[in-house]
Amino acid sequence: MSHIHFPDGVLPVWLWVSGFIVTILVGVILFRLTKREELTRRLPLLGMMAAAMILGASVELVPIAYHINLTVISGILLGPSLIFLGTLVVNVILSLFGHGGITVIGLNTLTLSIEGIIGYFLFRLFWRVLRRLTPAIFIATLLALFCSTLSMIGVVSLGISHYEALIHPEDHKGIFEFKLLKDESDHSKEAVTKDRVDLKRFIAIVLPLGFIGWILEGVITSLIARYIHRLRPDLLKLERETP
Amino acid sequence: MIQLSYLDYSAVEGKSFLHRLSPTLKIVGMAIILLGIVTVKNLPGLFLLYVILLGLFLVSRVPWKIFSLTLYPLIFAVLFTFISGFQTRFILLVFLKVLCGSTGVVLLLATTPYPSIFQVLGRVLPSVFVTALFLTYRSIFILLTVLEETENALYLRGGLQWRHPWRSLVNISNAFGHLIIKGIDASERMYESMVLRGFEGKIHYRGE
Repeated sequence: MSHIHFPDGVLPVWLWVSGFIVTILVGVILFRLTKREELTRRLPLLGMMAAAMILGASVELVPIAYHINLTVISGILLGPSLIFLGTLVVNVILSLFGHGGITVIGLNTLTLSIEGIIGYFLFRLFWRVLRRLTPAIFIATLLALFCSTLSMIGVVSLGISHYEALIHPEDHKGIFEFKLLKDESDHSKEAVTKDRVDLKRFIAIVLPLGFIGWILEGVITSLIARYIHRLRPDLLKLERETP
Repeated sequence: MIQLSYLDYSAVEGKSFLHRLSPTLKIVGMAIILLGIVTVKNLPGLFLLYVILLGLFLVSRVPWKIFSLTLYPLIFAVLFTFISGFQTRFILLVFLKVLCGSTGVVLLLATTPYPSIFQVLGRVLPSVFVTALFLTYRSIFILLTVLEETENALYLRGGLQWRHPWRSLVNISNAFGHLIIKGIDASERMYESMVLRGFEGKIHYRGE
C-alpha cells in the first residue's frame, strides 16, 4: 500500500522522469558517502534482506490489497544508506514480475526508502525514550508507514491532470503537459476535473485499508524484531538495554 | 513468487525462437513495448499491443502456469479505478496498460535467463548495483527453500490455523524472523566463499 502499484504509462512523464533523476542523485551521494570496502562486505547481506523483502511482498492479503514490506526491519538491520540501495534492487526485481511498473521504479524507490530510513531513525529515537523493544518498533513502523503512504498519495496527486488526459484524450495532446501558468480555459477544465477525477475518493479508500495494513505490519515487524532479539540481539545493534 | 523457480526453468530449458534470440534484442524489444505503453493513449492501440504479446506468449511455448503471473498486478490496479469515478475508458486503459507491461516483463523473464539480463544491464549500470541485483536473485532461491521448509513445519505442527489468528500471526512472524536470521548467516558464509574465489566487488559473467 505504501508504494505505488501504478502500471507504466499512467503517471505523467515529467513525474516519473523526475523520480528517476532524484533517485540517481540520492544513490550517487549515498554511494560516495559509503566506504567501498564496507559496501562490498555488506553486499551479500543487502542481497539477503532485499530477497526477504521480495518474499514478504509475495505474501498477498487480497481482501485489502496489502502485502507486508519488511522495509522497516530491513532498514534497522541494514542502516539508512544501504536500505536505499536495497529498496532500489527490490523495486527493480518486483517490476520484472509486473509488480509495479518499470517507469515508476524511481518513485517507488523514493517512497519505499522513506519508510526504511524514517523507520530506522524513529526506532532509535523510541528505543532511547522507551527502552522497550516491542512498543518502540511498533510505533516506529506505524509512523514510517504513515509517512510513506502520505508520500505515495502526494505523488499520485501530482498526476491529476494526466489522469484527466487519459479519460478525455481529445482535450489533451502530447506527452509533456506540464504547465506553470493557468489561463482562463483552465478554469473550465478544472471544473470538469472536479467532476471526474476524484482524489478524495482514492484517499478515502487507501487510508482506511492502509491503516489495517500498517497495524498488521507493525505487529508482524514487532514480533520479528522480538524473535531476532531473542536469538541474535547483536543484529539490532541496540545501545545499553538497562537504563 | 513460488513460481520463480518455474520461470527460471522455462528461461533456461525453453527452445523457442524467442528463447534463442539475443538478450540485448529482447531488452530493446521490452523498451519499445514500454515506449508503446507510455505513449499510446487509445484503447484499440493498447489492445493490439496486448494481442501481439499474447501471440508471442503462445509462439514462445511458455507454460500457461506462468501466465497467472501476468494477471497478478490487476489486484492493485483495481485501487486506481477509484480515482476516475469508475470511468469505463480509464479502467480499461489502466487494465490494458497493466496487462501489456506485466505480459512483456514475464515474457522477457520466461525466455531469458537472469544472468544474461544482468550481463546486458552490467554494460550500462554501475557494477555495484548489478552485483546487488545478482546476489538478491541468488538469495531469493536460498530463502525460498528455507521458507518452504518452515512453512511445511508450521503446517505439520498445526501452527497456521484460522481458528487461532493471533497464534498464527506470531508463528508467521517467527517464520520471517527465522528466515532473516538464516539469511544473514547464509550471507556471511556466501561472502566468505566469494572472497575465497577472488570477489572484489564485481561479479564476472561467462564470456566477459
